[in-house]
Amino acid sequence: MTPTTAGSRSRATAVARLVLRRLAFAVPVLFLVAFGVFLLAAASPFDPVYQYYGVQILNASAADVADVRARLGLDEGVLAQFWGWFTGVLSGDLGVSRSMRQPVARVLAERLPWTLLLTVTGLVVAVVFALVLGTVAAWRQGGWIDRVVTALGHALEGIPPFVLALLAIALFSLGLGWLPVAGLTDAGSALSIGQVVEHLALPALVLGISQSPWLVLHVRQSMLSSLSQDHVTGARARGLGERVVVLRHALPTALLPFVTLIGARIPELVTGTVLVEEVFSWPGLAAAVVTAATAVDYPLLAILTLVATAAVLLGSLLADVAAVLLDPRVSADG
Amino acid sequence: MRGRATGARVRARLWGSLGTLVLVVLAALIVPPLFGSGSTVHYEAIRLPPGWAHPFGTDSSGRDLFVRSLAGLRISLLVAAISAVVSTVLGSAVGVAAGALGGWSDRLLMRAVDAVNAVPHLLLGIVIVSLYRGSVVAVMLSIALTHWATVARIVRSEVLSLRERPYIDAAISGGASRLRVLYRHFLPAVVPQAALSAVLLIPHAVWHETALSFLGLGLPPHMASIGNILGDGRSAVLLGAWWLILFPSLLLVATTLAVSGIAATWRDRVVPRRRSELSL
Amino acid sequence: MTTSLATLTLFGAGCSVPSKPGGDGADSMLLADGYEPDSLNPLLGYAHAGAAKFYDGLMAFDGKGSLLPALAAEPPVADEDARRWTVKLRGDVTFHDGTPFDAEDVVATYRAAIDPAYASTISSNFDMLDRVEALDPHTVRFDLKYPYVPWPARMVLGIVPAEKLAEPAPLTNSELNTKPVGTGPYQLVEWRQGERMVWRGNPDYWGGAPAIGEVTVVFATDDNTRAQRVRSGEFDGTVLPPVLAERVGTDSYRTVHHDTADYRAITLPSTHPVTGDPTVRTALNLAANRDGMIDALLGGHGIPGHTPIPPSMDRYHEPTARFAFDRKRAKGMLDAGGWRPGPDGVRRRGGQRAEFTVMYFADDSLRKQLAVAFASDAGEVGIEVRPAGVDRTEAASRIGTDAIVLGGGNPLDPDLQMYDSLHSSVIGTGTYNNPAQYRNAAVDAALDRGRHTTDSARRARYYKQAQTAYVADPGLVYLAFIQHSYVMRTGAWNGYEPVIEPHTHGTTWGPWWNVEDWTPQR
Repeated sequence: MTPTTAGSRSRATAVARLVLRRLAFAVPVLFLVAFGVFLLAAASPFDPVYQYYGVQILNASAADVADVRARLGLDEGVLAQFWGWFTGVLSGDLGVSRSMRQPVARVLAERLPWTLLLTVTGLVVAVVFALVLGTVAAWRQGGWIDRVVTALGHALEGIPPFVLALLAIALFSLGLGWLPVAGLTDAGSALSIGQVVEHLALPALVLGISQSPWLVLHVRQSMLSSLSQDHVTGARARGLGERVVVLRHALPTALLPFVTLIGARIPELVTGTVLVEEVFSWPGLAAAVVTAATAVDYPLLAILTLVATAAVLLGSLLADVAAVLLDPRVSADG
Repeated sequence: MRGRATGARVRARLWGSLGTLVLVVLAALIVPPLFGSGSTVHYEAIRLPPGWAHPFGTDSSGRDLFVRSLAGLRISLLVAAISAVVSTVLGSAVGVAAGALGGWSDRLLMRAVDAVNAVPHLLLGIVIVSLYRGSVVAVMLSIALTHWATVARIVRSEVLSLRERPYIDAAISGGASRLRVLYRHFLPAVVPQAALSAVLLIPHAVWHETALSFLGLGLPPHMASIGNILGDGRSAVLLGAWWLILFPSLLLVATTLAVSGIAATWRDRVVPRRRSELSL
Repeated sequence: MTTSLATLTLFGAGCSVPSKPGGDGADSMLLADGYEPDSLNPLLGYAHAGAAKFYDGLMAFDGKGSLLPALAAEPPVADEDARRWTVKLRGDVTFHDGTPFDAEDVVATYRAAIDPAYASTISSNFDMLDRVEALDPHTVRFDLKYPYVPWPARMVLGIVPAEKLAEPAPLTNSELNTKPVGTGPYQLVEWRQGERMVWRGNPDYWGGAPAIGEVTVVFATDDNTRAQRVRSGEFDGTVLPPVLAERVGTDSYRTVHHDTADYRAITLPSTHPVTGDPTVRTALNLAANRDGMIDALLGGHGIPGHTPIPPSMDRYHEPTARFAFDRKRAKGMLDAGGWRPGPDGVRRRGGQRAEFTVMYFADDSLRKQLAVAFASDAGEVGIEVRPAGVDRTEAASRIGTDAIVLGGGNPLDPDLQMYDSLHSSVIGTGTYNNPAQYRNAAVDAALDRGRHTTDSARRARYYKQAQTAYVADPGLVYLAFIQHSYVMRTGAWNGYEPVIEPHTHGTTWGPWWNVEDWTPQR
């Protein structure tokens, strides 16, 4: 048996153990979150019968309203409602969204792909920005690029994504007319890759830029410290070219904490997505959060909260798995 | 940011931030009361561009945007400060309890912290406000209940590092009760950390409130707050009334950056050890 | 990334989408709506004021304030006290699914509207309906609990096939909510919720197949998004707030503003120590700057409102029933009524400070602006009004004691517009039925007579009397009838006819209320 196969086997075991442990952690957390959302809903003064009626509540008599309440099962206690919902979820029935008037499962199926498309593209934009700008800034520390990148990074930390989105619309859509304002396709156009790419550009860019300052500053930081490490100075001393030193020696060392950081920033990515989808009318799950919240639609709200929580847990798991795979020194026990 | 920034630059950042903050806060305290909080509707002054009479222009109900933005900033800052303090107190209590008690209580409390941290803050905040729509308390709760977990974790690790110190051992072996150790040694020791956390939380809290109000889920919509003003201003882009977005955003960004700048300087000076954890 | 792209292609392949982009073909049309119906079931309130594209009522609105027979072969016939109505049905009509339309469908629809087992949300509109029976396959008889002359205005309810109502269960899960089957000029091809709806002309429509064979309605709730997209030329038309509509309705678009019966009013609860005082009520009506609000908040596109009847319902409108904008007189009245200015500028009488709260729906920005403007106007005469943004539950629980910005209206009949808002007998029968508990014997009497009188000239006189009696003793502050504003593409179609609109608006009303009669210009 060669040392490499032994190493990869033990690494595989390490990854498997990591995944199992995270799963054991995720289940109670998800349960707690679901229950927490229901408890909050129970304490709320909002009456979901208004969602059923919509504007027709204007004409409804008190007796009719009471009748509808009883028929919809809204008079049951919150524990009963929670239990009914929870057992339903376990058996694959996610319930019916009152604000969308369709099964929650269908809302998920129709909207999740668009949200994934937006967030993944946004994340890729942010990562590319971070790696390129962070590396260049660290490499030329103190130079004008470094100063501009650092200053912009700090300034962007203070600008909420929705302000960025409004400015981007004002500039690129209304001012220059380069990109469409909102939606998934031009109204009436067929759903085509070209259309979607065109409509994706602005929201993904805004999302990516709003997420990048932390990543850029972080990459710059870890590049600075890795550039001063022994093996890098050693490589320089051996007379290797600057490019090779930076890309082959310094960058890989800096990459490891960066991967973990990306995992840790999934919550902010979700937050950014909520705001960006709302401003750009992107038909994704995050925009549905706002709709569901406005309508106090708990079946949908609870599932969306769970999906977001699962995304956060999955994100940090993936980052840790990547870290284990990338770096032989990281043990999977941490 | 971490790199040994030269003394001159640190000082420039500190004084710049302090100056901005003092200016903005003073304006927010003094200006709105002088002009009736900018709530009188002027039917004949709808969406006037910035000029001598209205330095920031007027909004869609003819209200002076300068006065209204400052009134909004005042409310946003007040909401943020109160929520940051509540959140810090809550987080510190949990952190000290977990760190000092250890064992099962520690594990249980930390699981709760993990659960809260696993849900994106804005999403959890949306869930909370959506159920108690339109009240200031709901917005504060929404901020406080989502941000305490970060503070709890920082404070707990501070307590854990304190436990290693010899004087604590001495106190415990000297027969001091757990509660006494907690009071006399742990609580005072975490105060600087906690106070710093509160300040660091303020920009996050302002941001959270603004985002909620912008989505129409935050403070009552007629109330002046930066988020409400920006939410109202969404149509401004198309009507050509750029001032309705520009000035309130500038005010917001300047204030949050100033607070972060001060907090960052403080962090580097007072508690240089735990820099990475404090970037919240 | 790869996965989402794969799903994307999958989605692309799976959907049917209109073949032509908007505006290219004159036989198809692309509209944007700010409001998406929750359900397409008439029994859950879809298009309850008529103009339901997928359905026909027995009667239909002619756009100017009268009713025409639709599925009815001729206007309904009433007995002399207007309690028994008989209607003959058309014999040549089929539903979209090919099944023939007959009396059974009418009976099933109206029975479902009043049977609690179906949990219909419009049952209160049919409170007067006692029984409905088929006399033969093409004749239906309605028996009412009390004489009700405006009954034909209730007959705009869309008729659904009896088979879809076979089971008496709550309609929440009814198939009709998302897959409407009616007799209307259009049938639904596709509804991607939150995104778009595609209608295709019904080739077998009894009124003739529509020349515009395909209508796509895109849903974009945000006004600004819609306006921006119209400006980039994406849509053939949309509904917008007046100021935005004026801004984008240029070049190849025109902006139209339709008169409505859609009022906005501030309720003044009778039980409140301040708003219950007749002096305060009249003073507030004099203090409200209606023209100012309309000019500033609606860009001039509204008509001052003083009573529930708008000038556009001109047969029933009493022009002298109005309030002048007169702050001086308002202040004088308050002084004379014992409300003296206090040290803080707010009036007091005895220990009572002249203050009250006006609620508005937090998600409605026009109502918010009206509440803020009304508060500002009331402040000018020394009455402190505090706006409060509320959701519908909170509004319902506080509506008896706190004022609220109210909206509503239906131009089909003055009874629909006045009775449920002002008659004392409806107090307590529904959240928004006379919520401020207004009581005035003269108004009650006139409204009752209007309900029972068949002679149309005498009937109109009663409604005018009711308005005069109301203005002498106001119970609300009617502020304005807001015009509904639309942007539409010019030079592509003939057939546009202005219409007087109800509270409901969007693309089923507006310029497109009669889109089935439009023809391409080319």
